[in-house]
Amino acid sequence: MGEMKVQNVAALEAELEELQLQLNEANETIDAIRTGQVDAIIVNDGDGHQLYTLKTADHTYRVFIEKMNEGAVTLNTNGTILYSNSQFASIVQCPPSKVIGVSFEDFVALENKTLYGNLFKKCWTVDAKEELLLISGHSVVPVQLSLTALDLEEGMCLSIIITDLSAQKKSQKLLEENNLQLARVNKELEESNHDLQQFASVASHDLQEPLRKIQIFSTLIQDNEGGMSAQNQQYLSKVIHSSRRMKTLIIDILNYSRLSAHSEVFESVDLNELLTELLEDFELMVEEKNAKVQVAPLPTIRANRGQIRQVFQNLISNALKFTKENVTPVITVKACLVATKSFESIVADAGPFCLLTIEDNGIGFDKEKFLENIFALFERLNSKDKFEGTGIGLAIAKKIIDKHHGLITADSEEGKGSIFKIILPLA
Amino acid sequence: MDLIRIFLAEDDVDDQELFYDFLRHRTDLKLMPPVENGVCLFHVLESIAANNELPHFIILDQNMPKRGGLATLQLLKKHERYSCIPVMIYSTYADDVLKKSGREMGAAMVVQKPITKEEYNKMIDLFLKLDYQRI
Repeated sequence: MGEMKVQNVAALEAELEELQLQLNEANETIDAIRTGQVDAIIVNDGDGHQLYTLKTADHTYRVFIEKMNEGAVTLNTNGTILYSNSQFASIVQCPPSKVIGVSFEDFVALENKTLYGNLFKKCWTVDAKEELLLISGHSVVPVQLSLTALDLEEGMCLSIIITDLSAQKKSQKLLEENNLQLARVNKELEESNHDLQQFASVASHDLQEPLRKIQIFSTLIQDNEGGMSAQNQQYLSKVIHSSRRMKTLIIDILNYSRLSAHSEVFESVDLNELLTELLEDFELMVEEKNAKVQVAPLPTIRANRGQIRQVFQNLISNALKFTKENVTPVITVKACLVATKSFESIVADAGPFCLLTIEDNGIGFDKEKFLENIFALFERLNSKDKFEGTGIGLAIAKKIIDKHHGLITADSEEGKGSIFKIILPLA
Repeated sequence: MDLIRIFLAEDDVDDQELFYDFLRHRTDLKLMPPVENGVCLFHVLESIAANNELPHFIILDQNMPKRGGLATLQLLKKHERYSCIPVMIYSTYADDVLKKSGREMGAAMVVQKPITKEEYNKMIDLFLKLDYQRI
């Protein structure tokens, strides 16, 4: 009897200990549920896994999972869908009730079954992502799968987030198509640009040959004295004059088209030196016009020397060309350093820009009417019997200044001279 | 003193004629019959057996069919027998690119084709003078 008692006590104590253990475990589970570490329990009851979700703790997540744009499913180790949100059902175009209990593999497109098989093997040990096609009604839909194995005490299960890539793929395809289109248009543009340059170059070369003949033979006729009336002599000199003009025109067009073709070679250019050199070329013209050219100290800039020289050459030659009668032409070239790339910029000793001005006291022009036009190709404000010129000079100047990332403008009033302003970066 | 032999390669018949018309009066020059391109130029040079009958000066038009000025210049400068003959290239339009490549390839002069008789003569004088300075 006493022994029985002892045995009973021992059994009860063991039972107590067992119950205590279960209680602790239950308490731990409750704690875990309270703190949100667990919101679903999978119980293996012999018939297979049963998933129990905790309604209260799970509610927010459930709503969240239901409402999110991604599909979400949970699979057991056989790959059977235990849970699916409605978005997944809608991605595969199946009623939600027909999704649960089905093998996930059944929704994978035939060509991706092997890929999925490998993925399903791998994902139990390491998180995995893969893009593949799912069957959706009568067609397929590109998706990205994010697989994460969950090691719950009740057993392993797999959570998969399914992102529908149709929109992304579609815009990606659109983007690719647009890029292709752009590349094609770009190539066409380059080709037509090249063609244009070729055209300008070839046309200029080939136009010069017959033109030279016209010049040569009309000069020869002119030199053959005798037998020609005064009027014919006059006509002939018009021919010679026109052909000379055409030659200038052709060379100017050639120079203009060359500007886009040649790669830029920038070097340090002392504008003082450049102006001194340039004015030597103008010596004769300055003398003829009895003009005064004043050049204030100028900065050194990084530029294409030949091109910047061309700009000054065109501007100074304009200033010497469009002079007023009975007024001594005065041309002033000045510079100051400014802070920003703007004609309104404040003066700044350190730059980084310089403002160059070329001022004359010539015939000027109506700024309101013509400022927009003067830098356009072939724009002439004066008739050619009064002033020689092709109307390309300022267009060339503007193109060069543009290529140097600078600005050019002019200020003028009819009869009161002009001032051309250029902003260029120093370096 | 021997006459200075000048050899012109020029495909344009007008320009061939002008060249001879404008220089015909000169007593210091012997104008060899012109050829119409660089290939013909070599044929003629090869047919001249005696070195002392080779031209003293060669003038090449840049734009010629078959073999143009620069290409002919390059071959001449590579050729043992002809490399020391001074060469001038002239062209309807001689821009900086042509001048630069011409000089780099060893042309004594690269110029734009003249228009008047005076200019033709000046061009030849300059060519002869340039070369004498060289020697």
